[in-house]
Amino acid sequence: MTPRPVATDAFPTATSRAQAETEAVLLKHIAAPDIQQDPVLDKTSHMQFLVRNLVQGFPSRYISQDASQPWLLFWTIQSFSSLQVALDPANKQRVIDKVMKWQHPDGGFGGGPGQAAHLLPTYASVCTLAVVGRSGTGGGWDQIDRAAIYKFFMSLKQNDGSFLVAHHSEVDVRGIYCLLVVATLLDILTPELVEGTAEFIASCQTYEGGFASASHPSYSLGGELLPHGPRPPLGEAHGGYTFCALASWVLLQPYLASIANDSRPKPAINIDSLLRWLVHMQGIDIELGGFKGRTNKLVDGCYSWWCGGAFSLLEALGVGGLQNAVSEEVPIDSGTPEGVWDDVDEGLLNRHALQEYVLSAGQHPAGGLRDKPPKNADAYHTHYCLSGLSSAQHHVFPSKLRRSQVEEAWEATDSHNDAMRKRCFSEILSWTEEEGGSHIIGGQNNRVNATHPVTNLTMTHTEQFVSYFYKQKVPARILRKKPTTSPASAPGPGTKDAPAATTTS
Amino acid sequence: MFDDDELLFSERPEWSDVTPLEQYENLNPLAPIFYTDEYKDATNYLRAIVKSGEKTKRVLELTENIIKQNPAHYSAWQYRYETFITLLFPSSPPKPSKALATNPMVIAELALMDELAVRFLKTYQVWHHRRLLVALTRQPRRELGFIKKSLEADAKNYHTWSYRQWTLAFFGGAGGGGGVAVESSDENDIDFEVGEDLWAGELDFVDAMLAQDIRNNSAWHHRFFVVWGCGVREGELDRERISKRELIFVKQHISFAPNNPSAWNYLRGILRHTSTPFSSVAAFAEPYTSSKESISRDNIVDLDNPRPGEGAELPCSEALEFMADVHEAKTTEEGVNSAVEIWKNLATEHDTMRKKYWEHRIRSAHRSLNTATNAA
Ligand SMILES: [Zn+2]
Repeated sequence: MTPRPVATDAFPTATSRAQAETEAVLLKHIAAPDIQQDPVLDKTSHMQFLVRNLVQGFPSRYISQDASQPWLLFWTIQSFSSLQVALDPANKQRVIDKVMKWQHPDGGFGGGPGQAAHLLPTYASVCTLAVVGRSGTGGGWDQIDRAAIYKFFMSLKQNDGSFLVAHHSEVDVRGIYCLLVVATLLDILTPELVEGTAEFIASCQTYEGGFASASHPSYSLGGELLPHGPRPPLGEAHGGYTFCALASWVLLQPYLASIANDSRPKPAINIDSLLRWLVHMQGIDIELGGFKGRTNKLVDGCYSWWCGGAFSLLEALGVGGLQNAVSEEVPIDSGTPEGVWDDVDEGLLNRHALQEYVLSAGQHPAGGLRDKPPKNADAYHTHYCLSGLSSAQHHVFPSKLRRSQVEEAWEATDSHNDAMRKRCFSEILSWTEEEGGSHIIGGQNNRVNATHPVTNLTMTHTEQFVSYFYKQKVPARILRKKPTTSPASAPGPGTKDAPAATTTS
Repeated sequence: MFDDDELLFSERPEWSDVTPLEQYENLNPLAPIFYTDEYKDATNYLRAIVKSGEKTKRVLELTENIIKQNPAHYSAWQYRYETFITLLFPSSPPKPSKALATNPMVIAELALMDELAVRFLKTYQVWHHRRLLVALTRQPRRELGFIKKSLEADAKNYHTWSYRQWTLAFFGGAGGGGGVAVESSDENDIDFEVGEDLWAGELDFVDAMLAQDIRNNSAWHHRFFVVWGCGVREGELDRERISKRELIFVKQHISFAPNNPSAWNYLRGILRHTSTPFSSVAAFAEPYTSSKESISRDNIVDLDNPRPGEGAELPCSEALEFMADVHEAKTTEEGVNSAVEIWKNLATEHDTMRKKYWEHRIRSAHRSLNTATNAA
């Protein structure tokens, strides 16, 4: 049976026409019911696509991303991580050397050598170093100028708690997300840095429930910020901004907890309307369960992460997941044919359908992943489709147990900010993959690594990096059996057609 | 993109005093981009200029060249802005004023921005550079016309819409504090266009956009911004009248095309913003939950409760969801049971993709009811 189209009420407009065109294309990608085979994640051709970009480089049309060189590299490197592949030491070194060319003498990283520092490339550079870097000479980690980054961050701060993405540039929540991830990873998050930021984030939530790029503060004629004046969001609710705002909100929890007892009014977001908006971004059957980024727009593979990945973050705010369920309440008898709905831990999105979208529509036959057919693959969509697939395969949740383990292992320092640092450390490391919580369409061969819901690095990379910068030991996790690792050997000029892979997890 | 006879910077005598700076010296980088000769040439000169700190007229030429090849080159934009400001205010700190609007340098820059915005609609930087300029010249009215034109090319462009909202908020937000967020600040002389009349055409503008495409969510969001988001405007002080007007508007639009989540979200948005219970609109929403055949077609036109149009595909899942919320809000066992009935319907038939969410709603409704009962 052909799935029903999105209803148009015999009232066609530009939106419904574009929707119908997309449905017609996607329909061809729905597996025929008589085919019993699950879709396959074509890891080999995606690896070839990634290795080609890394080794041979990007064609001229990527000039438009010349100011995003750190992103091109991060998307590529992190896609390797998702595909359970690590670079060999020589290539790692080449990546580190390139990243270090982007560090700006006045702090932060730019989009390329000699380019101005900017929050977005700062995230991409630091996260790339988290994957490939190490401590010691030439390893990258000790060459990150944390004090200068902090100064750079402070120089971007506005009096409404927001940040410019770069000097003379715009304010938006992507930049704030990037700043907060970097500050958290590098242990430079202070109350001074983030005062007022949560208020700004909250003001970006729109009436639809999702978040906009920014909001506009009100000022008095004398120039004072009016804290209770209207602060309208600029732009509509959007998947990318919603992820960034929500992840920022999660990253601000340690700070918010530290000021919980003072008398200031606390910012709040509406979690119910956010959840409602997020679930409505998931397309219906004919859209293969992919996510869209705005109401009445088309599904697109990258929102597999921006929207699909946001559900884990909601668990940190008490919504969804087994940990947040009240045990007497589940399972409930709701009278469906099955009688009970007992799989409450499976999340509030349709994880199964999301995997179908990435596998059936997101893969380009020639390698790499994409927005939707018949588009080309690109580095950005390859990374975010894989991250989205990962979030749909694995259940990674903020474990209270893990958090307390990490907290107990904390060795107190004489930093005046010790309590908040401890909280940042234990919260970012509390994310844990649920044992047996993976549901992988197409079986183990389609498995990609679990991704940290906040940093979008692997769990292991996040842990090693954070441990290094906080100078704290991370208590051992109770690990499941890991796939055996073989000695490193990876894509290099000689192996580009058949990259030998190191399995990582 | 270029005239064939356009010279590389390295071929121009007036640039011969500058030594171009390669991007990666002593490094054979992974993941290189295959640059064109023109791009490599121009950016080599930009790196050299940034390093020397030169801010002269020829820098405008250089950065324009780069921006036209790569409009997302934010450093070129940033350096261009700094150079522009240095040339415009050689001896004093930058100061916004209306007089700037007749300055030839400013006129030329704005003309260039008009050209680039149309060509590179999807880059952040074109729109942000405009903001910086308009914050200096204080002439927002021209912007609204320009934006309207660019929306004809791309009716849902995020940057264009947020730029429009910025323009309105910046030059006429409640509190009237236009202009304080610019970096230069000597704001007590209010020598610029500001006022309510900047906003006078906004509702008509939204109406026109929605008439073109009733599903354009950007336009719905703009309506919310104009009517609710930005404080209360002159002539709109009677909020009860405004609420009524907006409810009639959105209901009518739902009746034209009921399966339009943008319109339902707007309805929910108004009700929540004005703390109006959903139940006040139940009589309107109910007919949209029935199957088409069961709707009686009398000829009574009820403005408060317009019926689904002829082509409506019913029941409409947004209406079902809405009615479930109405029932749940009664916080009685009966109400919750009715809501659960609808959620089950959605989960198993009308909106199966969101099954998990409807289950979640069922659980949490039961939970709140139990909590309420136990507390009583
Ligand atoms: Zn996309």
